[in-house]
Amino acid sequence: MKNRVKYIIILSVFLVLQIIWFNHVRLFGYFTPIIFIYPLLILPLQKNESLNLFLAFLAGLILDLVSNTGGIFVATAVFITYVRKIYFMIFKNPAQNIDDIQINKIAITQKILYISVFVLIAQIMIYALDAFNAGLLISKWQNILFNTLISIFFIVFFDLVFFNPAKK
Amino acid sequence: MIKLLRYLSTKRSFLVFVFLELIALVLIIKTNDYAQLKTHDFQTAIAGSFNQKINIINRHFYLQIYNDSLLKQNTYLLKQLQNRDQNTNAIPAVLPGQYQYIPAYVISNQYNLQHNTLLVNKGEIDGVQPDNGVIATNGIAGVVQKTSLHYAKVISILNKSLKINVALKNTNYSGFLQWTGKDPNRFEVIDLPVNAPIKKGDTIITGGMSGIFPKGIPVGQIYGYHTVPGRKSYVIYIKSFADMTDLGPVYVIKNRLKTEIDSLKM
Repeated sequence: MKNRVKYIIILSVFLVLQIIWFNHVRLFGYFTPIIFIYPLLILPLQKNESLNLFLAFLAGLILDLVSNTGGIFVATAVFITYVRKIYFMIFKNPAQNIDDIQINKIAITQKILYISVFVLIAQIMIYALDAFNAGLLISKWQNILFNTLISIFFIVFFDLVFFNPAKK
Repeated sequence: MIKLLRYLSTKRSFLVFVFLELIALVLIIKTNDYAQLKTHDFQTAIAGSFNQKINIINRHFYLQIYNDSLLKQNTYLLKQLQNRDQNTNAIPAVLPGQYQYIPAYVISNQYNLQHNTLLVNKGEIDGVQPDNGVIATNGIAGVVQKTSLHYAKVISILNKSLKINVALKNTNYSGFLQWTGKDPNRFEVIDLPVNAPIKKGDTIITGGMSGIFPKGIPVGQIYGYHTVPGRKSYVIYIKSFADMTDLGPVYVIKNRLKTEIDSLKM
């Protein structure tokens, strides 16, 4: 329960940062970092999964309400929260049990790869759902790529500096 | 039945996932649906009041910049007024009082997506209606899509679905302005006839044909162009005068005679 409250506080802080500051950032002309997904990525895999999904839904809904974007962020947040388990089922060590994986204890290179994959998925979903046209993804690959790189940079920075000092 | 319930309970998180994604999908799709009308007011009111509070804080930091841009605009308007008084023999393009200007503030501005919108803090109660134009201090900003009592949702010119009638300054050659979807300050003008005398550095203004914007509002400056193979028209690339990423005070333009003009176009 104590852990859950900690995650809710982290999620609230990242949401506030995303809404007040990162949504208005325009690096190199037109790139905007998406950092609100970080707390969703570090939610425990084993604990109440439905509650995790509701937290993601709530976070996405708040972002959608203040950004006037329908349900784009809801769909993205819920999707990445759910498919995390599938990601670890595919990429885990064969000898390891999925229930033994603790995200805050995985090696830093694996963690960066994990963050990168999900930031890319989030960016693709946001662009595809906004345009409601998958064909547009091909013409927008540069925007998706640079937004992804910038988001990964910020998220890894937050992870190393604030949440994982031992692995610096 | 019990077996089914037992099976479903093992897949609870998957069912929750599907349920929440369906809600998200409905929220996205409803932008084209009648149902959106019902939730629109609620969403706009929340986004509006939240952004208004943020905006009140931000506005204090930009007061000097806003004041400077308002001064520039007032100077421009005074000059226009003077010119009008001098050209009393010219045939007026619009009737006196045809366009009403309603000052407003942008309280939410998107520019990262492909279909961007703005929220302004004036709504039905102030006389704002759908299809009213919105201009920034140095160029056009968008067209009102929907209104609630105190707010209006505006389709930004940074929206790939919006086309605005524009013209080459000092001529009657007109085309359509549309966003390229990449840089928030660069646009293209399509369907401008090839016999139009264009060159780099020329100014593009609003064409006034749609009745949304009066003719003559500066839009941007030409930095490149080419002809369309097989069509007798140009594609012109322009850099907008208005910085769409830094919108503060704007004016909603209401054409009092638009309904009358539109009824004759049918």
